[in-house]
Amino acid sequence: MSLLTVQDLRVSIGGKSILTDIDLSVEAGKVLGIVGESGSGKSMTAYSIMRLLPDGSEQNGKVILDGTELTSLSEEQMCQVRGRRIGMVFQEPMTALNPLHTIGDQIAETVKIHTNTSRSEARRITLDTLRRVELPPEEFPPSRYPHELSGGQRQRVVIAMAIALRPQLLIADEPTTALDVTTQAQLLHLLKRLVDDDQMGLVLISHDLAVIASTADDIAVMRNGVVVESGSTDVVFNHMQHPYTRELMKASGHVPQKLASTAEVTSPLLVVKDLVRDYKVARKGVFDKVSFFRAVDEVSFTIYRGENVGLVGESGCGKSTLTRAILGLEDIQSGSVSLDGEFVIANEVMSLSSRRKMQVVFQDPYGSFNPRHTVGRLVAEPLHALAIQPDRRARERAVHEVLARVGLQASDGEKYIHEFSGGQRQRIAIARALINRPSLIILDEAVSALDVSIRAQILDLLVELAASDDIAYLFISHDLSVVRSFTDRVLVMKDGRIVEEGETETVFRSPSHPYTKSLIAAAPTPPKVAH
Amino acid sequence: MIRYLARRLLSLALTLLVASVIIFLIIEVVPGDTASLMLGVNADEETRLALREELGLDVSKPVRYVNWVSGMLTGDFGISYTYRTPVSEMIADRMMVSFPLALYALALSTLIAFPAGIIAATKRGSFSDVSIMGVTQLGVAIPNFWFAMILVTIFAIKLRWFSAGGFPGWEAGFFAGLKSLTLPAIALALPQASILARVMRSSLLDTLGEDFIRTARAKGLSARQALWGHALRNALIPVLTIIGLQFSFLLAGAIIIENIFFLPGLGRMIFQAITQRDLIVVESVVMLLVFAVVAVTFLVDIAYAVVDPRLRRRV
Amino acid sequence: MRRRRNLVIGALLCLLFIAAAVVSFVWTPFDVVALDIANKLKKPGGAHWFGTDHFGRDILSMIMVGARTSIAVALVAVGIGMVLGVPLGLFAAAKRGTLIDELIMRGNDLIFAFPALLIAILITAVLGPSAINAIIAIGIFNIPVFARLTRAAALSLWERDYILSARVAGKSKLRISAEHILPNLLNLLIVQGTIQFSLGVLAEAGLSYVGLGAQPPTPSWGRMLAESQTMFSFAPHLAIFPGLAIVFTVLGLNLFGDGLRDYFDPRLRHNRHDESPEAIVKDQQSVNDEQGVS
Repeated sequence: MSLLTVQDLRVSIGGKSILTDIDLSVEAGKVLGIVGESGSGKSMTAYSIMRLLPDGSEQNGKVILDGTELTSLSEEQMCQVRGRRIGMVFQEPMTALNPLHTIGDQIAETVKIHTNTSRSEARRITLDTLRRVELPPEEFPPSRYPHELSGGQRQRVVIAMAIALRPQLLIADEPTTALDVTTQAQLLHLLKRLVDDDQMGLVLISHDLAVIASTADDIAVMRNGVVVESGSTDVVFNHMQHPYTRELMKASGHVPQKLASTAEVTSPLLVVKDLVRDYKVARKGVFDKVSFFRAVDEVSFTIYRGENVGLVGESGCGKSTLTRAILGLEDIQSGSVSLDGEFVIANEVMSLSSRRKMQVVFQDPYGSFNPRHTVGRLVAEPLHALAIQPDRRARERAVHEVLARVGLQASDGEKYIHEFSGGQRQRIAIARALINRPSLIILDEAVSALDVSIRAQILDLLVELAASDDIAYLFISHDLSVVRSFTDRVLVMKDGRIVEEGETETVFRSPSHPYTKSLIAAAPTPPKVAH
Repeated sequence: MIRYLARRLLSLALTLLVASVIIFLIIEVVPGDTASLMLGVNADEETRLALREELGLDVSKPVRYVNWVSGMLTGDFGISYTYRTPVSEMIADRMMVSFPLALYALALSTLIAFPAGIIAATKRGSFSDVSIMGVTQLGVAIPNFWFAMILVTIFAIKLRWFSAGGFPGWEAGFFAGLKSLTLPAIALALPQASILARVMRSSLLDTLGEDFIRTARAKGLSARQALWGHALRNALIPVLTIIGLQFSFLLAGAIIIENIFFLPGLGRMIFQAITQRDLIVVESVVMLLVFAVVAVTFLVDIAYAVVDPRLRRRV
Repeated sequence: MRRRRNLVIGALLCLLFIAAAVVSFVWTPFDVVALDIANKLKKPGGAHWFGTDHFGRDILSMIMVGARTSIAVALVAVGIGMVLGVPLGLFAAAKRGTLIDELIMRGNDLIFAFPALLIAILITAVLGPSAINAIIAIGIFNIPVFARLTRAAALSLWERDYILSARVAGKSKLRISAEHILPNLLNLLIVQGTIQFSLGVLAEAGLSYVGLGAQPPTPSWGRMLAESQTMFSFAPHLAIFPGLAIVFTVLGLNLFGDGLRDYFDPRLRHNRHDESPEAIVKDQQSVNDEQGVS
């Protein structure tokens, strides 16, 4: 008898079918991983179990928790189940907590609404729960407010709220997606420990196969609102039945085929030397000295022509500031950046010829484009940096050419950006970066927001372009497996400094700096594709 | 928090300082010699000079500005050109009408708007939501002075529940005073309440869509509990902003409404002063009203810090 | 389809009053200046649809001519606010955190401390009452409204990646403000513009009601109300029709503004969210939400 059984679950919203015939089961003390790309319905499945679907949705089928048929409960009875018998953790730790209440109050609330405990008893449970999620109350008193905690710490508070009453089942919907790899590893470890300690069932939802593979006992693969394959993790990974599972597996471990570049990798292209960027920190009092925060601390490195260099580091390590400094968008305090022998200077005084040689592709396919301009105009924007402005026909020709190179139609130039999917938008971003025939493209988490299958295609495209155009990449990513498969050389950044630098494979195989070691150890390994 | 408030206090003082300069300069532009205007064309030179000295007009403009500001700081607003009485006494009298009226209207509009906004938000799309939104849409569009005329006709002239205007003074008793302020306060409160109810509704709806409400529901809170325990206080933050901004509209509205109800408040005083060209009164009352607006903004800032712990630590 | 309904009703009401104002230049049922004491205080009906006032002037004709004043004053005032406020806001956002940004914002705070009525009072004290006063007073009050809105919205746009792309292409901040920021603010500004327009109509009526606005013989709704006040108990039509004119104009503008906001919204949202079912549901909900005035 399973702890949770989901049978023939069907959900539709406003008449549109979202989930069809979902069957799942979770054992006590075990982890069920649900994996799927965006829009596969994995979060909706979680909401249906909690019966927290948005208004206007219709739910059919059975959800049985330890003998209780949840779908037949009244809303009032369901409130008794939520938080007491099923806990839930969400993706965004930054917004999941009420900013106006202390963390202690928010954890104690779970206790107070379900039990008649005294104030002191509720406080005792709160402190105890904080300890269970490894936030020792001595360091993290319950009187703290959410904004005083980091993302990982907040997620622990959310988990504490969910497990305060030791529920039978915990549902975690992408609990680590918004976090850094080391934090992610710690949290996954915590979740595993809680499952073992309390013999709780855990439903772990993720888009990341590696996370699921390293954590789950059983897995279910979802696509378009259907479970396409399920079973124990070993069986599914070793004897995949469904073509989609295979495709997904292949894409997530995808290693783009490197093509021999014609460029000479010995001539330096980008030289960063002793770069320092300080930010002014707001003064505490009127008479205090102005203090500074050093975001980039004497960073030096070189990228050679046609080379593919990775930059890894966790959030706050200074990689975005470094990127902006390289692009000439930040004032720097000391040191220098030079591209092809010419110094890069911040702001509008920088020479347009330097601008021309350097382009950037950003992470968010939705925020990278002005929604009011046509794709043609968007792609043509970097032409501004040309010394002689091309006429309309030359512009058009250039746009058509780059669109074709990234696999889009010339007619796409007349469309607006909202008509394209996330993957197509990243192609457009690449086209925009290509139009000036740059020597260096900075890929700032450029594939991080994409589903694995799309990501694989984009990576292939990038490799192909690099070979044909002699483009060097600075590939910035938090995803170590992609960095490993894509780059030749890697820089590891921590607290504003480059702590390790070397050939990618060498660094990954035998990291020398302790931080690199911990990063690599923390990164979940993607399952090996079995043939 | 103290640092946050100190900063706000400093900028408040600065705003007032600049405002006083602007007001002084504008009034100083007025052509003509005040003393000769007051005395008429036939006055002899000696009387004119004596009057100038009495009014403090015999010194240079910068000195007069300093005298004016330092006088206000000590409660001395100068002497009315028309009545030859201290302006501060006149203002004090009038304030006892205007200030309670604004407060009364603010209280009324909040009392109406909060429940209305909450009901509309929680029962979105229902009949009560649609009707509340319809009424507020209309309430925003009705000019308060016109509404006041209608109120007077119905409740004072036809039904005779209230007097059509005038103020018996607080000496006549608290309730008598309050009663005579009731119709003006309702007229003032209607548009404010409508705007506030709409803001309350949309702010609450926004908050109900936040992630932490979902977290609260996952804890086992009912939709109702989540609303009262988590959504309301968060929704209050934008509402506070609007209340602060509205205060200046309320003041402006009060000036107009006082004229309709013949209430002896600052509004009536300022219009009389304009017609009589009693510029020192205009100058001082405008300064006082600006002070009131700025002070309310400061109070709203304090309220923010009380509601939102994130502000308490902000530098 | 409720949002369509708002838009259509609002547009029709606005058109009605604009048409009345335009037609009044060439034709009104009666002459608004000529006195006709024989026909004074006529009840609505017959030749005088809305009745006549104490001088025998036709109320309908006066309302038509009064629409001119209302619309002109409010429109010019909103124009002043936009023309000065929007560039100030754009400039402040582009120079974020600098002294000039701080100066612009503190200047806005300063103006906000003066309600439009106070500005009008000060101007009147110096120059005497006129319709120009009303325009200047309401216009000045509109500057910080637009400056703040523009700055806040522009600041969030400056964080977008496409702005960085434009900077990488070497475009100047000024050019980016004009090319990328302003076009993306237009919807917001149009919606705010209609709301400020309606507030302007109300403010103009208030100012002329207390005698700080348009002076006789220029007909104005606010002054019609002021003149009718003493006769309200026996000739209510004198006050009811101008009052209704104000209510319907403001209502029309507000409905139109709300309708426009809802009409603009989903398209903009479309660019931001992915199309997961959650996002679609959330979108529909927020589209259905009406928001409060300003």
